Amino acid sequence: MNKGFISGIVLLTIGLVCGILLSLVNHFTAPIITREENKIKYAALAEFYTLADYDLSEVEGTGAFGTIYVLKEKGTDNIEALVYTVSAQGYSDSQLVQMLIAVNNDLSVEGYKVVAQQETTGFGADIVENDFNVTIIDNLNDFDAVAGVTKTSNAIRECFTLVSQRAVSDLGGGLSE
Amino acid sequence: MNKKENFVKGFIKENPLFVSLLGMCPSLAVTTSLENAIGMTMGVFFVLVLSNLIISLIMSNPKLAELVKPVRIPVYIVVIATLVTIVEMFMHAFVIDLYRALGVFIPLIVVNCIILGRAEAFASSNKPVNSLIDGAGMALGYGAAIMLISIFREFLGKGTLTIWGDLQLNLTFFFNFLKIEPIAMFVQPVGAFLTFGLILAGITAIANNHKNKLAKEVTNNG
Repeated sequence: MNKGFISGIVLLTIGLVCGILLSLVNHFTAPIITREENKIKYAALAEFYTLADYDLSEVEGTGAFGTIYVLKEKGTDNIEALVYTVSAQGYSDSQLVQMLIAVNNDLSVEGYKVVAQQETTGFGADIVENDFNVTIIDNLNDFDAVAGVTKTSNAIRECFTLVSQRAVSDLGGGLSE
Repeated sequence: MNKKENFVKGFIKENPLFVSLLGMCPSLAVTTSLENAIGMTMGVFFVLVLSNLIISLIMSNPKLAELVKPVRIPVYIVVIATLVTIVEMFMHAFVIDLYRALGVFIPLIVVNCIILGRAEAFASSNKPVNSLIDGAGMALGYGAAIMLISIFREFLGKGTLTIWGDLQLNLTFFFNFLKIEPIAMFVQPVGAFLTFGLILAGITAIANNHKNKLAKEVTNNG
């Protein structure tokens, strides 16, 4: 049989063994990773609101939106606030910049936090804790981008823009659960 | 070369970073804190030791080696990429803060010249035990080098030394004594190049001095 063909089969076999090994490791680590990521997300929610004061539910978003956390007044259907999980492309190709943006029912921004990113260490990764000066979600005119870190700044601005485009409708009852 | 020499050579004589100047990109990027350097060392250690061992096991079987030889570089990359992905998954699951701090430089271990270099230059033509020792020595030598850089950078740039998590030495008294602030430039990219250059110059000066002494001794004796 052709020697090159057999070498190819050997490479394929090694690749398959590696693939199976990775799937086993993934099977073991994936639930732990999800739990750890959620822990960070809920820790971030608790930075914005006292969660015990609200009825908390979740809506799965589409497109750039991940989970949207709905905080309702206890025992009623009145939405007090929405916390959006939203992502946009930053500098890294392997990980989008993912943010949590908390919007009150008067459209004021309670807070925001970058919960996932792989921006460049020493550049983009360092600015995600910045104050971007967004206090009202339907007014992004005062957004403070950071000079020299354009792609990460743009990703964060894009996250705010996406939320601003739907927050009014969502808080007005347009959010379907 | 005996086993001890094989292990020790990675620290000084053939140090991947300061002698071979390999794997510089992630080394300069992640050395903003000692903790990052320790995490990177652990990742590189796991990958380098196991990739050397696996590749040596494959290549020490004559029949298998003959089949693998035409496709050996893709085979090395598949093995290394698998090990790096395993490291990445475990870091993401168990040390998520470190995973976030190291960011894209964890998957980039795949293309770190040290790993592929040792696979091709050593593991492919040596016995598994020797390859394992070589991998351990090289990884620890690389780790010692990046930890040395990170100690200088974090101390001068932040006035601290973060060993792991909350375990942090506060050394700001040094700056308070001199009545100056920590020099933030050292934790920025320019500080990485500056620190690396200064350490490299120091090591080269010591090595040259040692060589000159040996040459003088040979001249005097001969």
